[in-house]
Amino acid sequence: MEQLAGAGRIIQPRPSSIVAALYTLRDLDTDVAILHGPPGCCFKHSRLLEEDGMRVVTTAMCDSDYVFGGHDLLVDVLGKAIDRFHPKTVGIVGTCASMIIGENFHRAVQEVGPSCPIIEVEIHAGFNDNTHGAIVTLEAARAVGLIDEGEMERQKKMLTLATEIEKRFGAASKDYIEPSRGDLKYKAAQRLMELMKQGKKGLSVLNAKKETAYMFADINLAVSQAARAAGAPGPVTIANLDQNVGLPRIRRYASTITAQLKEAGVAVDHITGGLDEYPMTGEKAARIIEEKYSDYDYVVLSGVPHAVPYEAIKGMEIFSVTNGPRQVAPLKDIGHRHVMVEVDLHPKTLGVKGMVESEFGETLRSLL
Amino acid sequence: MKRQLAIYGKGGIGKSSTASNVAAAMGERNIKAMLIGCDPKSDSSITLLNGRRIPTIMDTLRKKGAISEEGVVFEGFNGVKCAEVGGPEPGVGCAGRGIIVAVQALQKVSDALRDSDVIIYDVPGDIVCGGFAVPITKGMVREAYIITSGEYMPLYAANNICRGLKTLHTPLSGIICNEREAEHEREIVEKFAAALGVPMLAYIPRDKIVQNCERAGRSVIEGEPKSAMAGVYRKLAGRILTEKDKKVPEALEDEDLRKLTQ
Repeated sequence: MEQLAGAGRIIQPRPSSIVAALYTLRDLDTDVAILHGPPGCCFKHSRLLEEDGMRVVTTAMCDSDYVFGGHDLLVDVLGKAIDRFHPKTVGIVGTCASMIIGENFHRAVQEVGPSCPIIEVEIHAGFNDNTHGAIVTLEAARAVGLIDEGEMERQKKMLTLATEIEKRFGAASKDYIEPSRGDLKYKAAQRLMELMKQGKKGLSVLNAKKETAYMFADINLAVSQAARAAGAPGPVTIANLDQNVGLPRIRRYASTITAQLKEAGVAVDHITGGLDEYPMTGEKAARIIEEKYSDYDYVVLSGVPHAVPYEAIKGMEIFSVTNGPRQVAPLKDIGHRHVMVEVDLHPKTLGVKGMVESEFGETLRSLL
Repeated sequence: MKRQLAIYGKGGIGKSSTASNVAAAMGERNIKAMLIGCDPKSDSSITLLNGRRIPTIMDTLRKKGAISEEGVVFEGFNGVKCAEVGGPEPGVGCAGRGIIVAVQALQKVSDALRDSDVIIYDVPGDIVCGGFAVPITKGMVREAYIITSGEYMPLYAANNICRGLKTLHTPLSGIICNEREAEHEREIVEKFAAALGVPMLAYIPRDKIVQNCERAGRSVIEGEPKSAMAGVYRKLAGRILTEKDKKVPEALEDEDLRKLTQ
């Protein structure tokens, strides 16, 4: 109910809980997501998720449906989705419009009587923390037996931690943060090469969220390739690429990336956890660094750099790569010297089956 | 068995007076009763609390961002637990959405909701939007009661509520007649109830005792416990506790309703 508190609201646009619900349905390998709301709601993300293999359809509510209710529309679209796509699971996702007028998903589901499980996600975008959308989706999936209690609680814990980190160090840390494209990548790349050529010892840390690792891992790959080319000591690679944690889809990402890195001659020295554990694996990476590598000279952090506690790396020259333009100022404030943004990273990591090139990785490789 | 009921009826027909008196009468019988007022005016439970206004769920959520049971549920006369949804001033915002948000928030924090033997939702208007149906759609209400007089417009509203109940597959347990001194009033309301296939559970006569007690911030059960009116409410409370003859109503056609009131 935090969204109802008056003072101190963040005035920059925030990620949407509805979108978070859609992504969580994708993580659950849901075949069809039905957005119960207006036709344009979440268009951009819906398109991207279609590229990722989940069908997204809408009940296309219009003005008269806001007045008379959209029950019949939902019954109709749910029936159509089942007849046409023969899904194994369907998610119904709320929107501001359908939730404000009190639409009852369950009544529609009962009326259709589908043979497959239906995840009823009663969500709208009126929450400061978009993770609320993910949590509601997990609870709805649990309610129809698609995930077990332990997995739901583990993910809820991660989402709560992610929210805390975002508020303490990330894009939710102030009521307004100027978006920035960060430092010039070629300048940062040149500086990194300089350090390598000086024989400095470095760390390469991947702490990424789910599919974004497909691009962020390319940075860690490029760092290893650059060190090798420069004849510098190979960087110690620390990554949240545990292949045995999370939903099957998340484990697939970790396996694919690990195999691709291995093929390119990069071994992961320390595994910190799974790709959905990024709020916690940053801490774990910090502990490993404090224990074994506190005297290292530089660190490259890719993914969610602000989840790695600064105390562990403050003596090093820090190169951080994020995909959030509003992450730059907070990282600079913490003390990260070079902060780069991989613009439009997320769309480029949807609908792919393996690692994709990053701008910073490519810039680094261009200097070799 | 736990009873979860909603009282519907045209505005001003006496829903809150009846609900609070019934709750007080139940409390008198050591039944754990809870009254949840869903009107933005937040006056359903005022006569159980000596005329005191309590902080509403929506105001508390707006100011504090969260609610606690102690902050929004208050014990009134005869141990009746009272909560008020609250909502916007007339002409702004969305009262229906207020019910959705408040009822869900209360569900999360309230032991009283779980522990009460009888929970009465006093819902304004005639299910005018999805929000007003939320106590039903969220499974917090299992049966409905409609209050009407023998006048045409309250009966028209009551009939319309029956349409809503049918849509929501919610049973109607009975009709309560609150007298407005219409001609053949008892007979008309009895016929209406019979046409719907449910009993008329009470005929509440018009008596200034009710208004006098309300003015003093009391229910009739508290203010005039020995009066005949208190007896009427006690009897109604008894019937609500024992009533089993409920059914999802089929609303009457407009023409049939008109004929019935002639």
